[in-house]
Amino acid sequence: MSDTVSLFGGRVPAEVDMLYKHLKNVNRETFTQILRAVVDAIGGQDCCESVRVISESGLISEESLNHVMAGLYALLKEALCQPSLKQEVFSDDLRALRISEELLADIVVVVFGNRQTSMNVGDKHQGPSLAKIEDLKWRVDVAISTSSLSRALQPSILMQMKLSDGHTHQFEVPVAKFQELRYNVSLILKEMNDIEKRSILKIQD
Amino acid sequence: MADADSQRCVSALLNGITQRLYYGNTEITEEFLKNELYAEMTEDEFRALHDKMRSLLKSIASADMDQAQLEAFLTAQTRKQGGGAVSPEQAAALARFWKTHRSRVRESLLAQSRWEPALRGLKWRVDLHTSASRGQVSSSPVALVELELGRTGESSEFVCVEFDEQKVNLVLKNMAELQESIDSIVHRS
Repeated sequence: MSDTVSLFGGRVPAEVDMLYKHLKNVNRETFTQILRAVVDAIGGQDCCESVRVISESGLISEESLNHVMAGLYALLKEALCQPSLKQEVFSDDLRALRISEELLADIVVVVFGNRQTSMNVGDKHQGPSLAKIEDLKWRVDVAISTSSLSRALQPSILMQMKLSDGHTHQFEVPVAKFQELRYNVSLILKEMNDIEKRSILKIQD
Repeated sequence: MADADSQRCVSALLNGITQRLYYGNTEITEEFLKNELYAEMTEDEFRALHDKMRSLLKSIASADMDQAQLEAFLTAQTRKQGGGAVSPEQAAALARFWKTHRSRVRESLLAQSRWEPALRGLKWRVDLHTSASRGQVSSSPVALVELELGRTGESSEFVCVEFDEQKVNLVLKNMAELQESIDSIVHRS
């Protein structure tokens, strides 16, 4: 009995299960190229060019290439998104999938060689979160005279907030409200600092 | 006694006009004011008084008169000849009324020339991420902020934003700059 959980839990996706069949006639160099392309794809980069080069090399049939890419993609995506995955468990998983030791080493290096990559991938696939501010622009206006007030001389603030979900919000902030906003933001920062101090203390315990 | 009573009526009239004109209270109609305050007046007499008071209020409000300006203005009005003249009781009522309502009327007039949605309020909370369905997450605090935005007379729109500490710091720095910019044009007493 082991208390470690394998990568896919109970059911292995079909494309991963069939991976070993299509890898039989693939030489290591081609495999490395495919692996790199798949890692790029998971990282959100364009891999069309590298896949075209592999396909045109004639070292692997179109069909096999499709199956290998699909299988590796599913496998690596799962592995890279699990920061708690252990190397030995992962290697055992690959052996169970009948992947040769040679190629297995390459895959393990990709997943565990550079944790930074895996963390970045993790960020991209991170779960629910609210929009974040990408850009904050402001302008201070002084109304000199308006249709209802001949001598206004009142400063007001126009704020433009660009969010990570693509929305842009523009709104006016009366000076009194601005003071309130500023006070609250400072309070937020203080709370955050306090929380951090508290968690540091907890570690020292 | 009659003087005090008539002054009270003028004050109430001014209040009613202001409610309707500046505070968006449409329930207070001209008819309502007449029935409540000047039931014994004829329609025309009341209309003349109402219109005179309204136009005086409008002049005072649009110029946002201070104490000295108001005094000079009212003195000139009481010295006028004919039906448009302001009685001393009316002038006194106007002076007293304006003293208490000036800032609120000004605020309402400023809002009339504000077309972008304005910030109405904000709520926030600070969370500590502990775990997620996919892998572990860094246990750094995040601030969730809800901004309430809305145009005058319209219902509010709520925008929720998430901040990490770095972003809060950045926004705060922006606000310090903004404050400096306001301070450079506003002379504090």
